[in-house]
Amino acid sequence: MNSRNLRIDTGMSVSFIASAVIHLAVFLLLAWYGRLMPLQTPIQETYYVDVVNLPTANPQSGDSAQKPAESEAPPPPPVLTPPAMALPPSVISPKAVSKPAMVPVPQKSEAPDTAFAERMAKLERSAEARREEAVFDKLRSKLKTGGSSKIGMPGAGGAEAGSRYGDYIKSRLEDALKVTSSYSTKNPEVVVRLTIAPDGRLSGVKIERSSGDATFELAVRRAIDLASAKFTAPPGRTVYENGFVFKPKSISSGTSR
Amino acid sequence: MAIILGAGIVVKLVLLLLLSFSVVSWGIILFKFFQVQRAKGESERFMDFFWKSKRFDAIASQVDRFAHSPLTVLFNEGYNELKKVVESDSKSDGSALSTDLGGVENVSRALRRATNSEITRLEKYLTFLATTGSTSPFIGLFGTVWGIMTAFEGIGKTGSASLAVVAPGIAEALIATAIGLVAAIPAVMAYNHFQHKIRVLINEMDSFTTEFLNIVQRNIAGK
Repeated sequence: MNSRNLRIDTGMSVSFIASAVIHLAVFLLLAWYGRLMPLQTPIQETYYVDVVNLPTANPQSGDSAQKPAESEAPPPPPVLTPPAMALPPSVISPKAVSKPAMVPVPQKSEAPDTAFAERMAKLERSAEARREEAVFDKLRSKLKTGGSSKIGMPGAGGAEAGSRYGDYIKSRLEDALKVTSSYSTKNPEVVVRLTIAPDGRLSGVKIERSSGDATFELAVRRAIDLASAKFTAPPGRTVYENGFVFKPKSISSGTSR
Repeated sequence: MAIILGAGIVVKLVLLLLLSFSVVSWGIILFKFFQVQRAKGESERFMDFFWKSKRFDAIASQVDRFAHSPLTVLFNEGYNELKKVVESDSKSDGSALSTDLGGVENVSRALRRATNSEITRLEKYLTFLATTGSTSPFIGLFGTVWGIMTAFEGIGKTGSASLAVVAPGIAEALIATAIGLVAAIPAVMAYNHFQHKIRVLINEMDSFTTEFLNIVQRNIAGK
């Protein structure tokens, strides 16, 4: 009976060793699989695109997929005069600038008679003319403020409060604060003065006023660090300096120097 | 792996406990699998040998070949008891086996005792499988509840409830339930499987007991 018990004990220990080896093998297999196919990180790179109106395409003419014949006979490019600095300001109709969306959409399939088609064509031509005027107006204003003509870059001077560069910086800071936001008091507020060097590098961060919430201050600092990696150079290669009021849900820009 | 390393201390302890449960239960599963397989195979071969043999002493000399079969234990116990009865009978009145059926009762009791001890041996450690199967999911659930509590605490502190903040904490917590289920499911399946196999072996032992007693009684009546 003793030899029988001894045999059972040996069998048990062999089984436990085998079990431990199986578990170790499964663990290593999972680790290897995890290294082979790492989990995708939830934070993905964000691409910022500034949408600008260009006088090269008519948004109401539909895309190329709806017009297969377009590849055979491409429409003539819109006649563009160079940025019309010489145009008199009276040409710019405020109505055309403020209400570009009110242009009626031509629907060719519902135009049975030629009179109606002519009328629609006339309306379309006038809408086109007004849209071009609006675009030229925007280009002129951009040139006046000394903005860069590079597409996708903030174009305003950034010298005044609420300018486009200021809005751009504010937007980047808001995005970063969404990631880092944390606070321990009810309505924390931090006023920070940022200085951005001509090359887009953040050269100065100064906390001017704080509601005393250290957690929120840390979150703001982290947000500034995060956002500053993506700052573009201020327009005109000048030093940009502005105060920003950080709140948990929003950021407002103060006065700039 | 990062999901486990990033978990809290309580969740880590729960995972460690569940891992040890899993290792032990798989050890028992492997041990029981080979034990039951050998018992079944050797029992079949022993029964063949038993019915081919004409004499108990011939069987007793060869019984070590089937050491893993529970039937050999029963045979040894019954045979030894029978020998004792025969010896005591021959001492008392000098004749061979008496027609007194008290001797058969003794053998029957010895076989019953051997059957009980074999059932105990076969069912040994199975309770651990049952315990693992029934408690592991709850232990895992405890780890999950604790992990989610910690995650919510973190959300309250940061004041942010975005998916990026909530999701990792909950994923860390849910791994405990997953490991609990991984430990429990094989344990429950193995427990049911071995219960069935052991029931078959118990039936074989009962049949063997009946046959053995019949043979003994026939021999006593034939004298």
